[in-house]
Amino acid sequence: MTPTTLVIGELHQGHVVESTLEALGAASAVGATLEEVTVLLMGSGAKAAVSELAQHGARRIQLAEDSRLDSAPVAASAVVAAATAQTVGASMVLVGGTTFGHDLAGRLAARWNAAVATGVTEVRRGTGGIEVRRPIFGGRATETLRLEGDRAILALRPHSFTVPDGPAGEAKVDPAPAPEIPPALLVPRRTGVEAVTQGAGPSLGDAAIVVSGGRGVRAPENFHLIDELAASLGAAVGASRAVTDAGWRPASMQVGQTGRTVSPQLYIAVGISGAIQHLIGMISSRCIVAINSDPSAPIFRVADYGIVGDLFQIAPALTNEVKRARGA
Amino acid sequence: MEIVVCVKPVPDAETRLRASPDGTVMDSEGVKFVLTGYDESAVEQALLLKESVPGSRVHVVALGPPPRTEEVLRASIALGCDQATWVETPAAAVPEPLVAARGLARAIQAVPHDLVLCGKQAGDDESGVVAGALGELLGVPDLGFVVDIRWDAAAGRLRIKRAAEAGQETWEAPTPCVIGLQQAWNDPRTAKLPAILKSRKAPIGKAAAGEIPTGSGRIVPVKFELPPPRTGAKMVEYKTPEEAAQKLVRLLKEEAKVFP
Repeated sequence: MTPTTLVIGELHQGHVVESTLEALGAASAVGATLEEVTVLLMGSGAKAAVSELAQHGARRIQLAEDSRLDSAPVAASAVVAAATAQTVGASMVLVGGTTFGHDLAGRLAARWNAAVATGVTEVRRGTGGIEVRRPIFGGRATETLRLEGDRAILALRPHSFTVPDGPAGEAKVDPAPAPEIPPALLVPRRTGVEAVTQGAGPSLGDAAIVVSGGRGVRAPENFHLIDELAASLGAAVGASRAVTDAGWRPASMQVGQTGRTVSPQLYIAVGISGAIQHLIGMISSRCIVAINSDPSAPIFRVADYGIVGDLFQIAPALTNEVKRARGA
Repeated sequence: MEIVVCVKPVPDAETRLRASPDGTVMDSEGVKFVLTGYDESAVEQALLLKESVPGSRVHVVALGPPPRTEEVLRASIALGCDQATWVETPAAAVPEPLVAARGLARAIQAVPHDLVLCGKQAGDDESGVVAGALGELLGVPDLGFVVDIRWDAAAGRLRIKRAAEAGQETWEAPTPCVIGLQQAWNDPRTAKLPAILKSRKAPIGKAAAGEIPTGSGRIVPVKFELPPPRTGAKMVEYKTPEEAAQKLVRLLKEEAKVFP
């Protein structure tokens, strides 16, 4: 059997998540042809998501339409994923770097005694194994690892691989294997999801653009300047620790060592001085913009572009300009 | 409730990182290793549960080389853990996550465990696979990215909250299970001096890491790199806020190519 790549897909509200599509891109980046990549979709919404995947070039799709997986822990999905990898003879298993992806990668690695790497930003086939690069220490260093063995499991860092445009076409759709899932793994249940209260924007963890506000915003009633700039860019809103500690914004929005680590394409820090604890959470962003009134603020040392000025003037001007440039 | 919490010695956040002489891994010479944020949250959660569920005990387990591993175990005892087990590894090299999970699982299997807690990832390699791997090795479910755990004695279930991409999820789970904790949501306590002094004499059990199964995959470190020093921001010169905005948007579009 030719070695193949298995992408373990993830659905959110009936749609394939971005990180699954990025995994398709990663598979082709290491030279897999469309026919060598199988995507596994699990849960009751699996069939409905087939056409969306096919549009992005998926040609082999396996469906595990088991509604029990909808609110079961990853342990149950891992049983199905493992059986599917076996069936398609996968030498490389790709998952998105999500909550689901991390838990799944750990379970599969332990199941197979296989080499595993998470937070992967680059992949290539080297001599003797698959070579990956991944940021570590909150982006303060990068390591290159070689994964040796019959099978490697990779969880990809969000926004590190390009979503393929297609070619759109017909996918061959098959039922995935239906192994018996140990009953104990189906007992824990997700009983609810409380959407993050941060407006209509994307969530911090997987947003391509993040706009964060800091102490320079001065008062909670001024935070709308950050929200509006974020909305104009379709960005998620973040905050520095000063802001969340003061209770201006919930702790779930904190970017930094004690909050979330983000690595968007574009990170805009508004009124944030750039304490090390904040930098650890965003330093691996691709492009960093800093807006601050203090020209000696440490944030300017790590930013790609800086504007020294009053955020109360710059932020609204930037919001207007972004709207104009995006034709809104 | 018998609670096991796994911790890992990780370089202090203030460490000046540098590559080892052969350039493949971090140079750990002279580096101070501590209990990191994620693990502190796991220990704190373990202690909170112990305090709320009568008759509970917290057993801390760590895998790694001397002296750093013993130090984080003593730090955990000083915080209030009742018992400690050290899975000693010989080399100074940090074992890959799956090797660590296997050694931890072996030690955990040998002791009572209703609930196994760990940080959702370590602050150094940030792999975040140990919770899942432990779940698999122990044959129980696992949940990562958890921010809160309560024991519902009437239902005999754990009530769990976790921060997932879609928002805050609520879960109910039976014991035993494995849970990976998010960082610093519970404002971890600090140890008091008498407890620190007492922890220095506390007994620490030893366990063997066990053999690596034949045919296992292997992770070979190839290169450890520090990012090129950032040269500082390109500053946007302007006379009016509107001009600053226009110039920045142009740079993001044409130079950085990150404008949506």
